[in-house]
Amino acid sequence: MIEFLLDGHSREATYMQLIRQVKQALRVGMLEPGDQLPKVREVAESLAINPNTVLKAYRQLEIEGLVEGRVGVGTFVRRSLSRPTLVTHGALRRDLEAWLDRVFAAGLDEEEVVALVETTLRAVFQEDRFRQGREGIA
Amino acid sequence: MTSALETTDLGKRYGRDWGLRGCSLRVPVGSVAALVGPNGAGKSTLLHLAVGLLKPDEGEVRVFGKAPGDSRELLEQVGFVAQDTPLYPDFTVAELVKLGSKLNRTWDDDLAVDRLGKLDIPLDRKAGRLSGGQRAQVALVLAIAKRPRLLLLDEPVAALDPLARREFMQALMGIVADQGTTVLHSSHLLGDVERTCDWLVVVRKGSAQVVGSVDELLAEHRTLIGPRTREGEYSGVGTVLRESHTDKQTTLLVRTGGPIHHPAWNVSDVTLEDLVLAYLADPNAAALPGPVSLPQRGVGA
Amino acid sequence: MIWLTWRQHRKQMLAALIGLAVLLAVLIPTGLKMHHAFTDMGTERCLNGLGDGSLVGAGKVSECQSVVDRFQRAYGDYGRAALLLIFVPLLAGLFWGAPLVAREIESGTHRLVWTQGVTRARWGAVKIAAITVAALLFAIGYAALVSWWMGPLNRTGTSRLEFLSFDVQGIAPIGYTLFAVALGIFAGTVTRKVMPAMAMTLVGFVVLRIPLAVLGRPNFQGAKDLKYPVVSDTAPNIGNGNWVISDGVYDRAGSLLAGDTQAVCWPPPDSPDADGCYGAGAYNLVSYQPGDRFWPFQYLETGVYVLLAAGLLYLAIRRLQRQMT
Repeated sequence: MIEFLLDGHSREATYMQLIRQVKQALRVGMLEPGDQLPKVREVAESLAINPNTVLKAYRQLEIEGLVEGRVGVGTFVRRSLSRPTLVTHGALRRDLEAWLDRVFAAGLDEEEVVALVETTLRAVFQEDRFRQGREGIA
Repeated sequence: MTSALETTDLGKRYGRDWGLRGCSLRVPVGSVAALVGPNGAGKSTLLHLAVGLLKPDEGEVRVFGKAPGDSRELLEQVGFVAQDTPLYPDFTVAELVKLGSKLNRTWDDDLAVDRLGKLDIPLDRKAGRLSGGQRAQVALVLAIAKRPRLLLLDEPVAALDPLARREFMQALMGIVADQGTTVLHSSHLLGDVERTCDWLVVVRKGSAQVVGSVDELLAEHRTLIGPRTREGEYSGVGTVLRESHTDKQTTLLVRTGGPIHHPAWNVSDVTLEDLVLAYLADPNAAALPGPVSLPQRGVGA
Repeated sequence: MIWLTWRQHRKQMLAALIGLAVLLAVLIPTGLKMHHAFTDMGTERCLNGLGDGSLVGAGKVSECQSVVDRFQRAYGDYGRAALLLIFVPLLAGLFWGAPLVAREIESGTHRLVWTQGVTRARWGAVKIAAITVAALLFAIGYAALVSWWMGPLNRTGTSRLEFLSFDVQGIAPIGYTLFAVALGIFAGTVTRKVMPAMAMTLVGFVVLRIPLAVLGRPNFQGAKDLKYPVVSDTAPNIGNGNWVISDGVYDRAGSLLAGDTQAVCWPPPDSPDADGCYGAGAYNLVSYQPGDRFWPFQYLETGVYVLLAAGLLYLAIRRLQRQMT
């Protein structure tokens, strides 16, 4: 069982935060197929949020095929998001560390590094989306 | 969607001043609705009209299709937590529960005792000696143990400290999840509203300014950031609710008809708080469902 | 609703019971003492001996008068103390009636109790009925007690038809109590605050009670006249409880010689011109309400106040239903 946390300052919609947290848990293996998600009522009460919001998040996860609702019992995980590629995380991390050494050697400070990463990420993702969109049309 | 509460051109006069006038709104069954607006906008008046403590001078109010009045059936279907949560100070909590059981045929004693037990509220404590948070919780228990279909809350947490406020909202959301009760609660606290409500009613100067589903409202509104543009020269962005300019940049809060394609604008989502504040700041803006009929007459004139 | 009514008003009931107990503790011993003295001093026998006639032998009257004076010297203060009881009905109006609705609204608890599964009309009806019945029972007990206690004083001091004396005995106090309670409740629905409701009750009660008692009561029925000579061997009967409205001594020609007094020259002097005999042909003229009109007057006045109370309660319930919004 996982416990949800809300970031009150986030501009992200509450149900999106819930979805993200479930996916995160699926990715890192904290949730596995067959595991139950917290009951709607419990989430609503403990976070003091509208139960419909929780339902909406669960429904979205259901549509994505990640979980399934069983009437009167609860919501259960159907498939995991953890991928074998995660095993290579260690290697990727070492690459990143080597890259960071070069960056610091080049004289950038921490904030500049973060800004560089963020702008690059955004640019790459936008390009990505653009490409996917075109493929969709084609 | 049927309405739990519906008002049509509702008006209530206090002496020569109108506390509410030309107020039309609806709250669908099953929603958790927020009633937001500045002090004196008519929030309490609206709630009092809905529960039958006041009678309209104009227009009409319907609760589950019926006019609230001296009807026992309707009184039993509506739970009301009044502002400052009035309780008889010399009654013990147990006596207040007994009051509820004697006065409501639909009373659920187990529910009341159970909830009070979970909240660690001693049954033999006099209401006058409870903390503000406990008072609010007891008032909420009294309102829900009669198993109402509609729960009206008049700023129940306004006077509470943050912890008590959170506990109250937790209890309220638990009830909504358990019983599917329709809720309309007035609040100043937009953060609470954002988390708990799926329906929004904004009242200003006695009439409803915004009525609608929170999701739809959020989907319809956008913040646009772009290069400095002269006022009135934005096209294809929908209705501008708020604009601000620097010498380089223009920021707009708009109600859009659809996606915004103009490449000059950087489009981002709005929070409920942005949205409410923008409407409250602009008396002429309104977001009402269906054919919008704004009252022609001035309020309080 | 009954439970709630009892729970909310039990303290008031207790206070009223204590008040009644104090009254019993004071009035029963003193009343017994007074009744015994009334018999033992021969007052009762003497007064009964005077019979029913308007004018009776002056010798007997004079004799009785001295016995009565003796009783009065001993117990006259009791009668004056009893006048305090005139405020009892007002207390019921101030402390039971006025807060009934006003306190709920003032403390905001009407928003709690009027949103339960009980209509406001029913809430009002049960509460008002309960308080009214309680007030009625207390008033009956109190009125019966005071009526018994006042018995000897009625016959030796002032007529029980007179102001203040009339107001604390018989059934009139029941009418006043119901009226005061109803006025209090009604005032509460108007002012919505306890203190102003009490003030309104006080003013309304006094404003109606005093004129009706002072101006109305002497004219409920035409007063009777009694004319008798100054020099006479008969005098007005002091045992039949008549209420003298006005009196005076007139000369033969009918002009007033002395107002607000009666004169009897007895034993008859040699000459009608003797001191204090006002000359030949002088007579007394007394306008009075006969003592046996006490009960008709009581019924009339009680009826008026009960009707007023009923009207006020009707208005109070109507206001609760329609205007308290």
